[in-house]
Amino acid sequence: MKLFYAPGACSLGIHLLLEEIGRPYEAEVLNLREGAQFKPEFTAINMKSKVPTLVRGDGSVLTEYPAIAYYLAATNPEAKLLPADPAMAAKALEFTDFAVATMHMQGFSRMFRPANFAPSEADHEAVKARGREIYEKGLAVMDKALDGRDYLCGDFSIADSALFYVCFWWVARMGQALPANVAAHYARMLARPAVARTMATEGLA
Amino acid sequence: MKFLYSPGACSLGIHVILEEIGKPFEGQRFSTRDGGTYKPDFVAMNPKSKVPTLVRDDGSVLTEFQTIAFWLARAHPEAKLIPDDLDGQTRVLEMLDYICGTIHPQGFTRQFRPANFARDEADQPRVVAQGKEMAEKYLALLAANWTGSEWLLPSGYSVADSALFFIEHWCSRVGITPPARIAEHHNAMLARPAVQRALANEAA
Repeated sequence: MKLFYAPGACSLGIHLLLEEIGRPYEAEVLNLREGAQFKPEFTAINMKSKVPTLVRGDGSVLTEYPAIAYYLAATNPEAKLLPADPAMAAKALEFTDFAVATMHMQGFSRMFRPANFAPSEADHEAVKARGREIYEKGLAVMDKALDGRDYLCGDFSIADSALFYVCFWWVARMGQALPANVAAHYARMLARPAVARTMATEGLA
Repeated sequence: MKFLYSPGACSLGIHVILEEIGKPFEGQRFSTRDGGTYKPDFVAMNPKSKVPTLVRDDGSVLTEFQTIAFWLARAHPEAKLIPDDLDGQTRVLEMLDYICGTIHPQGFTRQFRPANFARDEADQPRVVAQGKEMAEKYLALLAANWTGSEWLLPSGYSVADSALFFIEHWCSRVGITPPARIAEHHNAMLARPAVQRALANEAA
């Protein structure tokens, strides 16, 4: 199994799940700043030019964060990355989808790449502000979900890996503060040995 | 089970799934156009103000298209809307994520709501054009990498097809002619009684 990742990108969440599982895997850095994701060597693997990309043992390729996370959890039941109860497992997927498709792709994408949203530079500050608003509304939803809980579904699950990377961007890249329950969750995540190893490998610690 | 939807929105795909399952459900209509999803009775059920939203029989609320589709398919194995094996299920999820996380919000939202992207009205035609270009690129990628035959995935008809259906339904609205493979899929979907029932419910 081989993970293509970019240090500090959303692939960080999948990287830490692989560390939680603790089985051997290969990891290869894709330099997004140099456009490695658009080069033919990589588009032959993932035509969508995105990380995370997982090449499985049989050579088949899996893309999309929630699909990769679900697959890793389901194939490694001993790692307990998904609640056993189907209704709770659905909640874990729901939180994962919300962190990835809304907080990241609607919130941060506006803050990091406003030019992808508005053609005029004069609008970019407004786009960033809207991204911030979407992200902060997401944080409020997550903060409420964490009320009285250590992890989003009670025990650690794939949902926590997704919340972790969108919090990492907010704290480490933007220097912002998290609401109380999410801040406690972030600290709890950083204290997990698998997370600490991932951060060190990606040069983020 | 209560299903909160807006006519013609992406919730149409979940509507199709519920009709495929064929068990009774209570549909509740909220129009995203007149801000219905921001009204207190909706926010009380889903603070994210999004359709589709599903209120399950035990009162718990499920949101996010991919999650609702995946849960409905797994909770109703007799409807055969998802393969039994993990690998087939993972491929369904991957496809749902691409359709609901990229094709819809990146390609189509730019065309439907350019003001959410560019504040200056003069820029909005460019946002719409960019969205159309992105949507066409995504659909071309999907058609060129089609692994199924009549349906999207080699494992057969699944909830991924109902997600592609709401995208196909939108193509004519924004003047996109989908690649032939996708137009054929759209026709195959329109021939399904469950799809016809969902469309009729939403038009009524």
